[in-house]
Amino acid sequence: MQLWFQTPPAQRSILSVLIPVALLLVFCCLASLFYGAGEVGPIDVMALLMGGGSDDARFVVLELRLPRTLIGIFAGLSLGLAGALMQSVARNPLAEPGLLGVSSGSAFAVAIALVLGASTATLSIGLAQLGALLGCFCVMGVARMQGQRNDPIRLVLAGAALSSLLIAMTSLLLLYNERAADEIRFWVTGSIAGRNVDQLLSLLPSFVIALACVVYVARPLASLALGERVAIGLGYKPGRIRLIVVFAVALLVGAATAIAGPVMFVGLVVPFAARALVGPDIRRTLWLCLPIGPLVILTADVFSRLVAQPAEMPLGVLTAMVGAPVLLAIVRAHRLPTL
Amino acid sequence: MMNSLPTTSAESTQTKVPQGYVSLTLGQFTCLLDHGAIRRNLLLLGLVILASIASLAIGTVALSPWQVIQALFGYGDALSQFVVQDLRLQRLLAGIYTGAAFSLAGCLMQTLARNRLATPGIIGIDNAAMAFAVSSVVSTAISIAPSAMALAGAATATALAFGLAGSSGTRGYRFIVAGIGIGAIAGAITQLMLSQVDIDTANAAYPWTVGSLSARPELMVNILGGGLFFCLIACLLLTHLFSLLPFSDAVITGLGSSTKWLRLSSLSLSIILTGLAVAVAGPVGLVALIGPEMARVFARYRGIPLIGSALAGAFIMVVADLIGRTLLSPIELPVGIVTSVVGGPYLIWILMRQRSKSTI
Repeated sequence: MQLWFQTPPAQRSILSVLIPVALLLVFCCLASLFYGAGEVGPIDVMALLMGGGSDDARFVVLELRLPRTLIGIFAGLSLGLAGALMQSVARNPLAEPGLLGVSSGSAFAVAIALVLGASTATLSIGLAQLGALLGCFCVMGVARMQGQRNDPIRLVLAGAALSSLLIAMTSLLLLYNERAADEIRFWVTGSIAGRNVDQLLSLLPSFVIALACVVYVARPLASLALGERVAIGLGYKPGRIRLIVVFAVALLVGAATAIAGPVMFVGLVVPFAARALVGPDIRRTLWLCLPIGPLVILTADVFSRLVAQPAEMPLGVLTAMVGAPVLLAIVRAHRLPTL
Repeated sequence: MMNSLPTTSAESTQTKVPQGYVSLTLGQFTCLLDHGAIRRNLLLLGLVILASIASLAIGTVALSPWQVIQALFGYGDALSQFVVQDLRLQRLLAGIYTGAAFSLAGCLMQTLARNRLATPGIIGIDNAAMAFAVSSVVSTAISIAPSAMALAGAATATALAFGLAGSSGTRGYRFIVAGIGIGAIAGAITQLMLSQVDIDTANAAYPWTVGSLSARPELMVNILGGGLFFCLIACLLLTHLFSLLPFSDAVITGLGSSTKWLRLSSLSLSIILTGLAVAVAGPVGLVALIGPEMARVFARYRGIPLIGSALAGAFIMVVADLIGRTLLSPIELPVGIVTSVVGGPYLIWILMRQRSKSTI
C-alpha cells in the first residue's frame, strides 16, 4: 500500500490529509488554552476542564484565553479563505490581502470613522469591510490593467505601493486626532489579545454570508482556473464570479481586520501549505484552508506569548517572520507557478 | 554633467568638441561638459536654494527672506540669527544631505538593476538599516554606533537580496520581491525590539521608524555630510564608467571595463549613502524613487543624471519637510509620511503604465 505522502499531492484523498491537520488544530487549541504568560499552567487548566479548578484559573481561561482562542480561529479561517480566493481569482500565488493593501484599506476606513467621531465598537466592522472592498477594487484594477501575460510579481509591487500609501494616510489621520490614535493604536500591528466575545458575535452574520459566497463560487472558480473560455463554455459568467469573489474577500478580510488588526502574510502561507498538501484544485485547497488558517494563527499566537515572557510579542511580528521566508521561497522557485 | 574622458593632451588638441559641449582641460585630463545639462542642473540648484530659504524663513517665528540671508552670514538682529543658525539650519542641512543621499543611492541602484523600481527603500535596504540602527539604540548608548550599525544593516540586506534572488541576478522583478520579503522581516524585528524595551528607550528609537528630520543628532548629520561629499566625488570620477551600466555585459566587457568591479563600486556607493542617510532620518519613503525621476524629467540628459538626482532629492526632502512642519501646525508631520503620501500614487502610476518599464 502506498502511504499518503508518497502519492502526488493532487491524487491524495482529501480526508487522509484533512484529518491529521484537524487533529493538529485540536492540539493547538488546547495549547492555546494551556499556556500563557501567567501562573496558570496546564495542570490548573486540566483541573478546570474536569470541573474543579481555582477561581484564578477560571478567570484566566474563560475570560482571557478562551476568547483569544476563538478569535484566533475566526481570524485564521477568514484570512486563509480570503487568501486562497484571491490567489485563485488573480491567478497569482503571491496575491495576499495583507500584501496587496486590502487590510490597510480597511484600517484606513476605520481610522476615518474614528476621526469623524465614531467609537470603535459601533461602526468599525462595516466600515472595515467597505475599506477592504475599495482596496480590493484598486488592486484588482491594477492587476486587470496589466493583463495576464505580465509578470505576477508586479501585482505585489502595486499592492506594496498601495498599502504603504494607505498606511501613511492612516498615520496622518492619527497624528491629526489623538483620540483616534489612542483607540486604534493596538490595531497597527495585528494582535488577537484583549478582545471580547461580543465583537466576535457581531461579526458572525457577515462571516456566514461570506461562507455562502465561498460555497457558491468554489466550482466556478475551479473551471475558471482552466481559462476564461472554458468557464464560459461551461456556462459560468467570469465577470460575475470575480465580483462575488471580491465581495467575499472584502467581507472576510474586513471582519478579520476589524477584530485582529492587519495580520500580514497569513493569507499567503495558508493556501501555500494547502496547495503543497493537496494540489492546486481550488475546491480541495479551500477545504484544507479551513483547518490550516486557525492552525497558523494559533501557533503564532502561542509562540507570541511564550517567546518574550512576561511580555508578549505582537502577533503580526511573528506572522511576518514566518511569512516572509515563504514569500521568498515562492519567488525563488524556479518557475513561478501560475494558478 | 561631467564626462571625464582620460585622453592625452596631444589628442585633445586635435579632437573637435561636439556641438553643445564645452571642453575643459585640467592638466592631462579633458572633461566634456554638456551645456544643456549644466543649465538644467543650475536650475535645480536654484530650486534647492529657494526651498532652503523658504524653509529657513517659515515657522513659528516668521522671517523675511532678506532677514534669513543676513542672519545666515552673521548679520541682522540677535533673534533672527538665533532662529536661523541655532534652530533651523541644522534641520535644513539634515534634510538636504539625506534627500541628496537617498536620491543618489536610488539613481545608482536603478541604473545597476536597469529597473526604475529598484530603489533601496523598496528592496528593503532602508528597513534593514533601520532595524540595525534601532538595535544599537536600544542596547548601547554610544552616539556613533547608529551610523555604523545602519551601514552594516544596509550591507546585510543587499547581500541577502542578491543571494536570495538567485540566478536571475539583479534583472527582473524577482530581486525586488526578495527585497520586499527582507524588508518585512526587518520591519518585524524592529517592532519586536521596540516592544521589548522600556518606554524611554523606545521613544528614543522612534524617530528612526517613521522617517523624521526633527532634532537629529548633529554628529550623525556631519558624518552623513562627509560621506555624501566623498560619494559625490567618487560618482563624478566614475560617471563615464557608470554610463556603461545600461549596456549588456558583453558590451561592457568589450569596452574594456570589468562588469564585476563596476557593479561592486556602484552598489557599495549606494549602500554607503543609504546606510548613512537612514542613520540620520530613518527610512524616508520613496524619495529615492521620485528624485531620480524628477532629475530625468528636468535634465533630459542622455546619460545617468547623478548630480541632478542628488539636487532633486535635496529639493524634494526640503519641500516635504516644510510641508510637514507647516500643514497641520502645531502638529508636526514626520517627513516620511509626506513623501509616502506623494510618492505612493506615483509608484502605482509607474506600475500601471502599459509600456514595459522594466528597463531604463
